[in-house]
Amino acid sequence: MVSPGKEDKKEKWSADLVLDLYSNLLMEIWEIVSALLGETILELIFTLAIKKLGDKYPFLASMKVSEEGISLQELKENCRTMAPIEIHRGFQGLINHLFHLFSALAEGVISRELFPKVLPKVREAERIISQR
Amino acid sequence: MSFEIREIVESAGANLPNLFDFASFGVLWKEGPHLYLYQEESCPPSFTQEVVKNMISVLSILGEEPIDVNQVNLHVEKRKLKSKQIFMDPAATLKSHLTLPLAAEGGISGCISLNSDRPNAFDAQDLQFFSVIGYQMAATLKHFQRFSSIKNIAIYDTLTNLYNRRYFEERLGVEVQKAFHTGAFLSLVMVDIDYFKRVNDTLGHPMGDKVLCEIGSLLKNSVRKKDTVARYGGEEFILILPDANLEASSMIAERIRRMVEKNPFEIDQAQINMTVSIGISNFPSHQARSKEELVKMADQALYEAKGGGRNRVCVFDPAKR
Repeated sequence: MVSPGKEDKKEKWSADLVLDLYSNLLMEIWEIVSALLGETILELIFTLAIKKLGDKYPFLASMKVSEEGISLQELKENCRTMAPIEIHRGFQGLINHLFHLFSALAEGVISRELFPKVLPKVREAERIISQR
Repeated sequence: MSFEIREIVESAGANLPNLFDFASFGVLWKEGPHLYLYQEESCPPSFTQEVVKNMISVLSILGEEPIDVNQVNLHVEKRKLKSKQIFMDPAATLKSHLTLPLAAEGGISGCISLNSDRPNAFDAQDLQFFSVIGYQMAATLKHFQRFSSIKNIAIYDTLTNLYNRRYFEERLGVEVQKAFHTGAFLSLVMVDIDYFKRVNDTLGHPMGDKVLCEIGSLLKNSVRKKDTVARYGGEEFILILPDANLEASSMIAERIRRMVEKNPFEIDQAQINMTVSIGISNFPSHQARSKEELVKMADQALYEAKGGGRNRVCVFDPAKR
């Protein structure tokens, strides 16, 4: 039997892992797509997606977006105590919505560039969650 | 779609065929409640419809508020943008596209799109090039918008939307030069609302502003295209009538006087009647030697009209100088 203290530590560890994973993934998405669309349009798209998902996953609102890029510092601080599955769902929703917006603009052109990078990382997040 | 935007679109459109292989280039531009689509003339109507639907959908998704296709005033302008005329199959349908918002300073003023009747016609490199073009276009359009709004502030009176005094002075300078040089007629008509202070004092300034706006629009609608109507200050307006002799300008002035007299102004569900006094000066009839003198003569004639009991038109009388 796992003691409650151990359980908390494990949960925190998974939350950190999921946060780092999605943080890196979003940075990577920013890098790839900003080269295709430019920072001005990408900032607009990220802001829209965060706003859209904001009601369901309020923690996403603490993500900072500007033409210089994205910062998840504050979000990471705020999410340390959240359930990893909740973090995973929020980020998954955000990424899905970003893909939806990218498709509206350029059909499959952006998705084709992103899929090879994004899919393995989403799978990795799912694996971390399922191991709990 | 304003002249500047058309120029930018044409210039971008003319260069695109050197960079991309596409069936049509479209620009959707938002100006108040109007949407303008600028597109290839070779596009069949059904293809244009699909492009419109797609671009409005992108604008809706990315914009602050959704746009209802059935509620917008859409103006489609077609131009020959490609160097070579390409005839599209009339049955062609939209198979692939790249659509980018024209985004600048956090706002979206429209979008641009490359469209094709072939599936998967564009790749990542096309998108990269096209986004650079979109960025440049958005920045240039924003610059033009800002320039035209500064220009508007500089020449229009913010309350009545008539030209302001500063523009009037400039315009009069040009017209006087022209008249002095060619000997053509030039009339100045100065209009002052009678007992305007009473409106402000009894009904309040917002109602006074309403009267000013209504008389301003009445003046604008009573003159010819080449005439200039400006707010001179307070409740005074001034009209420059090029090529108008004393007879013609007196006719216009009398028509304005009668129209104001007969037009009841709706104020708070009540109606009030207003009148105006008008003074006229003319070149060469009154032998003014400068624009300042022409203005002074019109002002003196207006003073006569006021002194004579108001609600009347007076022509400058050199004998009363």
